[in-house]
Amino acid sequence: MSRIAEHPILGAPEKGRLVTFTYDGRPMQGYEGEPIAMALKAAGVMVHRYTAKRHEPRGIFCAIGRCTDCVMVVDGKPNVRTCMTPLREGMTVQTQDGVTAKVPEGGAPTDGKA
Amino acid sequence: MDRSRDIGPFVPGPDDDLLICRCEEVTKGEIRRAVHAGMWTMTEIRRFLRVGMGLCQGQSCTKLVKGIVARELGVSPATLDPETSRAPMRPTEMHVLGDEKKEA
Amino acid sequence: MERHDLIVVGAGPSGLSAAIEAAKCGLDVVVFDECARPGGQLFKQIHKFFGSKEHKAKIRGFRIGEELLKEASDAGVQVVLNATVLGLYQEKEVLVRIGDEIRHVKGDAILVATGASENTLAFPGWTLPGVIGAGAAQTMMNLHGVKPGERVLMLGSGNVGLVVSFQLLQAGCEVVALVDAAPRIGGYGVHAAKVARCGVPFYLSHTIVRAEGTDHVTGVVIGEVDKSWQIIPGTEKHFDVDTICVAVGLSPMSQLLTMAGCDMADDPKKGGYVPVCDETGATSVPGIFVSGDVSGIEEASSAMIEGRIAGIAAAKYLGYVEQAAEENEVHALETSLDALRQGMFAPKNRGKDLRETEEGCPISQNLLRKGYLSDEEVFAYPGVRKIAGVHPVIECTQNIPCNPCQDACPKGCITIGENITSLPVVNPDAQCIGCGMCVASCSGQAIFLVDEDAGADTATVTLPYEFLPLPKAGDKGQALSRSGAPLCEAEVAGVRSAPAFDHTNLLTIRVPKAYAMRARFFQPMEGGCAEWANQWTVPETSAPSFRGPMTIC
Repeated sequence: MSRIAEHPILGAPEKGRLVTFTYDGRPMQGYEGEPIAMALKAAGVMVHRYTAKRHEPRGIFCAIGRCTDCVMVVDGKPNVRTCMTPLREGMTVQTQDGVTAKVPEGGAPTDGKA
Repeated sequence: MDRSRDIGPFVPGPDDDLLICRCEEVTKGEIRRAVHAGMWTMTEIRRFLRVGMGLCQGQSCTKLVKGIVARELGVSPATLDPETSRAPMRPTEMHVLGDEKKEA
Repeated sequence: MERHDLIVVGAGPSGLSAAIEAAKCGLDVVVFDECARPGGQLFKQIHKFFGSKEHKAKIRGFRIGEELLKEASDAGVQVVLNATVLGLYQEKEVLVRIGDEIRHVKGDAILVATGASENTLAFPGWTLPGVIGAGAAQTMMNLHGVKPGERVLMLGSGNVGLVVSFQLLQAGCEVVALVDAAPRIGGYGVHAAKVARCGVPFYLSHTIVRAEGTDHVTGVVIGEVDKSWQIIPGTEKHFDVDTICVAVGLSPMSQLLTMAGCDMADDPKKGGYVPVCDETGATSVPGIFVSGDVSGIEEASSAMIEGRIAGIAAAKYLGYVEQAAEENEVHALETSLDALRQGMFAPKNRGKDLRETEEGCPISQNLLRKGYLSDEEVFAYPGVRKIAGVHPVIECTQNIPCNPCQDACPKGCITIGENITSLPVVNPDAQCIGCGMCVASCSGQAIFLVDEDAGADTATVTLPYEFLPLPKAGDKGQALSRSGAPLCEAEVAGVRSAPAFDHTNLLTIRVPKAYAMRARFFQPMEGGCAEWANQWTVPETSAPSFRGPMTIC
């Protein structure tokens, strides 16, 4: 479990309510208002996207919106920095492949070489 | 800058395949080759290879690229002028950039 | 066009400090920040700051952030969040994106306090998910309560690498190694020592050969480097890790100033490309000021003072304060700033291989290479004295600007003097009452209370403890040495927590007398100590890593 229940200095983290969103079509839970990337990280998701040229996996790198490596397709919009974007109930979050979703909504996964 | 200076031929290195620009996926070898192709300034390298022109706008790789170019030219990185700084400093969608708030 | 007396770019410690001072002088100030919350990196800083009282020493960074926000609000500073400054044009015009709207805003003066961005290091596998910046680790665990990983390798032994390693342990992660290509630890010895005593091994003159994994990091290989930074074949070492944390320095984020036409200079001592400015932060373009890391990488404490100076300078530039008043205030702040810029880590001493302290004590080479003082070396410093009864033992061995311990002692046991970088001196004639205020006040966690006369054969050692779960009196465990090696069985004699200690608990352990000057950390255990007994003679180099508060072996 990668959530810190009680921190020796900070105590218990202050979180919003638990909400459900979809990650590549699967329901997943996280806390409202926390960055999407944190909800994914807590759920064990490491790969946020595959690059356009070399089809290499990328995930969180800077976590403060600078490096743009954590971008995903959020509610149909590509290149959304998940480390900066607050999680909302019912969001659709998809692994990005190049600049499109790797798994089309309601469709079968592509081979990642699209 | 003395463009006639001889920096020698391009010599392949074992780490030429190392990715330097994470956004545009440009390798160390490509950057080194570009220097030997005559791209001696950060601005030229940037325009030629698109290093630092991806989503992050060079936040991650600029210092690495500068180090590689300087080493290839045999100069100190501090002597290389940085690439041009211009707006927008952060990735901005065209529809946002093009929709300025009108003065009241 | 919207206009303000002063536009501040960046609501971090420096920008907010500048805005506060300018607003207090009567300026209409607006602060733009691209983040959703103000405070910059301060809210990720959970350790106690260094310096003296005027620099807010021994207060944790995030508390300083809270104070600063309140001060800004009281001063009437308007902070606009989610406001990204995209450009800074001639005639001090700012292009800012607020939400999905682009605005042009004009400032009679501009203060750029954009701070710094993290440097990176390219190695095979550095783009794999699981390779993160040290700032990312801090953001995850200290802002969002999410562990960056279970098993982490830290690259970089500067203060950021050391502080974040300790924070990782506090968050319940295991730090398997701390690696730096340099031959000496770059950050404060006291920061290194508190990581080392938890059992984290230091690998100096080592760098990453490659990160392993297909979809994410599953391992890392490091190797020793020679004088030309090349890996020496045969020195490779492998670690199973899920996270590699990179802390290889910061670069000023100065692009806006280049764009505005300020004179710039590449200064390696300042961390890179910085605007040329005077001591008040005035750049070559009249009316454009800078403060904080964007003008040269330093600590948050100095960034806040620089901000205040630049805020007052901007007020004077616009005619809101008289020259004499400005000079007075700026002079006082500069004196305070100068105090922080002394000692062996001062900007002017960067890169120097100092061998002696200002007092003439030898600087521990073990501390610089392994992260801890040897049992013999420790007696060379004025804070370490053999005294009957309970007394402070101050393992503060480098000249760093910090003096809260001097004020903390109600009995005058500790003296630093006027020069805040001096090593603390323990006065053998003063009567220590064992209150522990010095232990809790030390930002470097370098003060212990030792009582070699606590029992017939036993001594007690009181140490700072910032981990969970908190042991309780009667708990059994083992004492660890300064290097984190198991020493002997130890029993918790008492635990003290108090609001004045601010989450630094005082853990008193009972150990055999012979270990009074060697036991410096406590590892609690469940069950008996029998299975550990055979470890207590192992050489220090093979110390098992302290697994943090979550897993107790």
